[in-house]
Amino acid sequence: MKLKDQIRFVRQNMKKNKTRLFMTVLATAMGCSFLIVLASVGFGLQKSIVDKIVGDRLVTAIDIYGIEAHDSIERQLGLSQIEYLRSVDHVKAVTYRNQVRQQLSPSLDGSAVNSQGAVNVDFAAETKAGFALSAGTLPKADDEVVIGYHIRIPPGTKPNEEPPAADEWLGKTINLEVSQTQTDGSERKTTIPVKIVGVAEKPSREWRIDTNIYIGNGLIAKIEDFTQTQWGEQRIVPDKKNPEGYEPPGLQDPRFYNGVQVIADGANRVKGIGEVIRKQGYFIHSIADELEQVNLVFLIMKIGLVFVGTIAVLIASIGIYNTMTMAVTERAQDIGIMKAIGAHPSAIRRIFLLESAMIGILGALIGTVVAYVVSFAVNAGLPLVVQGFMNEKVPEGFRFSWIPAYLAALAALISLAVALLSGSRPARRATRVDVLRALRRDL
Amino acid sequence: MMIELIQVNHQFAIGKKGKERVVPVLHHIDLHVKKGEIVAIVGRSGSGKSTLLNLISGYIRPTSGTIRVAEQDVTGLSEGDWANFRLAHLGFIFQSFQLIPSMTAFENAELPLVLKGIALSERKKRVMELLEQMGVAEYAGHYPGELSGGQQQRVSIARSLMLNPPIVLADEPTGSLDTDNERQLLALIRELNRDLGITFVLITHDDQVAATAHRTVTLKDGYLLNAYGKGAEYSYEA
Ligand SMILES: Nc1ncnc2c1ncn2[C@@H]1O[C@H](COP(=O)(O)OP(=O)(O)OP(=O)(O)O)[C@@H](O)[C@H]1O
Ligand SMILES: [Mg+2]
Repeated sequence: MKLKDQIRFVRQNMKKNKTRLFMTVLATAMGCSFLIVLASVGFGLQKSIVDKIVGDRLVTAIDIYGIEAHDSIERQLGLSQIEYLRSVDHVKAVTYRNQVRQQLSPSLDGSAVNSQGAVNVDFAAETKAGFALSAGTLPKADDEVVIGYHIRIPPGTKPNEEPPAADEWLGKTINLEVSQTQTDGSERKTTIPVKIVGVAEKPSREWRIDTNIYIGNGLIAKIEDFTQTQWGEQRIVPDKKNPEGYEPPGLQDPRFYNGVQVIADGANRVKGIGEVIRKQGYFIHSIADELEQVNLVFLIMKIGLVFVGTIAVLIASIGIYNTMTMAVTERAQDIGIMKAIGAHPSAIRRIFLLESAMIGILGALIGTVVAYVVSFAVNAGLPLVVQGFMNEKVPEGFRFSWIPAYLAALAALISLAVALLSGSRPARRATRVDVLRALRRDL
Repeated sequence: MMIELIQVNHQFAIGKKGKERVVPVLHHIDLHVKKGEIVAIVGRSGSGKSTLLNLISGYIRPTSGTIRVAEQDVTGLSEGDWANFRLAHLGFIFQSFQLIPSMTAFENAELPLVLKGIALSERKKRVMELLEQMGVAEYAGHYPGELSGGQQQRVSIARSLMLNPPIVLADEPTGSLDTDNERQLLALIRELNRDLGITFVLITHDDQVAATAHRTVTLKDGYLLNAYGKGAEYSYEA
């Protein structure tokens, strides 16, 4: 028997008692949407809380603080360590953030720029790591830079105020002033003009202010070439107040890197990479470590919610069982005639299983749509309620309820399975209809 | 041999489980029906005619003995195998037509084709052809409740012939028909037998029907009297 004909039979049967069918589908839809909405709270809270923990950090990033060693200098990360980290499997990029060790007094069109300083980054690595820009591009030439999102805020502005659009500065030139005190106490100065080609993304945490100027390896080399010290650090010549003075590390001295991050090529690789480099003595921390605990708690919570929600679907299944049992009883005569002329019992069973499956699918479909509507309403309405009654503001972007596609799919699967389960007994009963009693109309 | 019953006994068990009473209905039945024969089974009410036909139909299983249909031993077939066997080899005509009330004449007639899994386009042609032949094509869209007894019986015969079965079994096929319809049905049976070589086993109380048959066998209290009775010497040559 063809599936198409089985479906035709089922549809014919369903038309016979539309009210009963409607009520059964309604009950299934209610169970299914209850399941989805309930579980969606687990998903929504997890997403909101995890997003809050992660902030603007990458889940694929591992912070490297240092390496096990006896003294504090050896604990720092040198070029050979950076190279090792780059060579580890599944490492996409290794980035660093080295503060330039002098003011640079950046100015644009003659007025000072509100900058907390310049930071040297490896733009080649940042490209791979996915340095997020709100405008423009990453530098290609040595004298091109990226500026922080808040750099155009004039000093003294209130923290909540939206900065003037930084991208209006794209293409403009900032003058960096590099100076170095010579060993004889005299001061040498030079001005390096750089072009703004990109604006960094707004930090996702509201209180964070980014007024850095991000400069590449070519530009830092230029600065160091002038100062003859690492990261452009300024020399302090011994005098009466400071008889020892300070001679910063020179260009030939071993160089150490700050703010080193290893970027994995996938969130699921972070743990593995972490284990490998931890064994090599690196001190590391990744947001993934932190999230693992949080996600575990939420996983347990979500399983619990799905379980409770499934009970609602199971209650709806009583309706399906009832409907199918009545359908079999009502149609016993037809079943008997079909068996008498040669219908295979399994074909009859399939027709009734198909009917309960269709009730399950229909219920799941309607239930899913309703669940999305309810979820939307909760997300829109609950912040207003919280604000109204508790006078507390719900953080921006906080979601109470979130329905990922796979939750909807899972609920549909559960509804279908439960519908098939509750239809299986009536379907088996249908196959056992006695032909002779049916032909005698004695059922 | 189209149908062979060898030493078939049948008894019903009635009453509650544990306190069943056994009612023997058929005793030592030996029946042979050749290909292309029309055999009528006659006998008093309660003599076991329907029971005998139900055994050949596979609706019930014999208590003992062997049944062969279309050269196949069907005695031990499972319910599913019986279903497939019926669909492939047997056509049925019932006294009360046994059409499904919620289906149109067309849908009722096409049922064997649907069960066989034949595509709709192919079905249409075959169903209309047979309804035409039975003279009820114009009622294809009618429900059984909207048809006369004679028309319903024609639809059910169309259904029974849908898959060209070599054997048609009929339990009092004229029992619900008036004399006019009865006459036409008997003519049709003869015609189908002659043109298509279909083997018929008919149960009847009616002398007209019995006269149509090549051979008549009589059941009395569960015993087959003249298994080789009238027309026993008949042999179908074709
Ligand atoms: N399911 C059953 N359970 C118990 N006894 C049965 C059953 N079916 C039939 N019988 C008995 O078997 C005997 C034969 O019945 P059957 O229906 O074969 O008779 P019949 O010859 O077809 O009669 P009629 O001409 O009235 O149709 C009867 O005595 C009947 O009571
Ligand atoms: Mg009878």
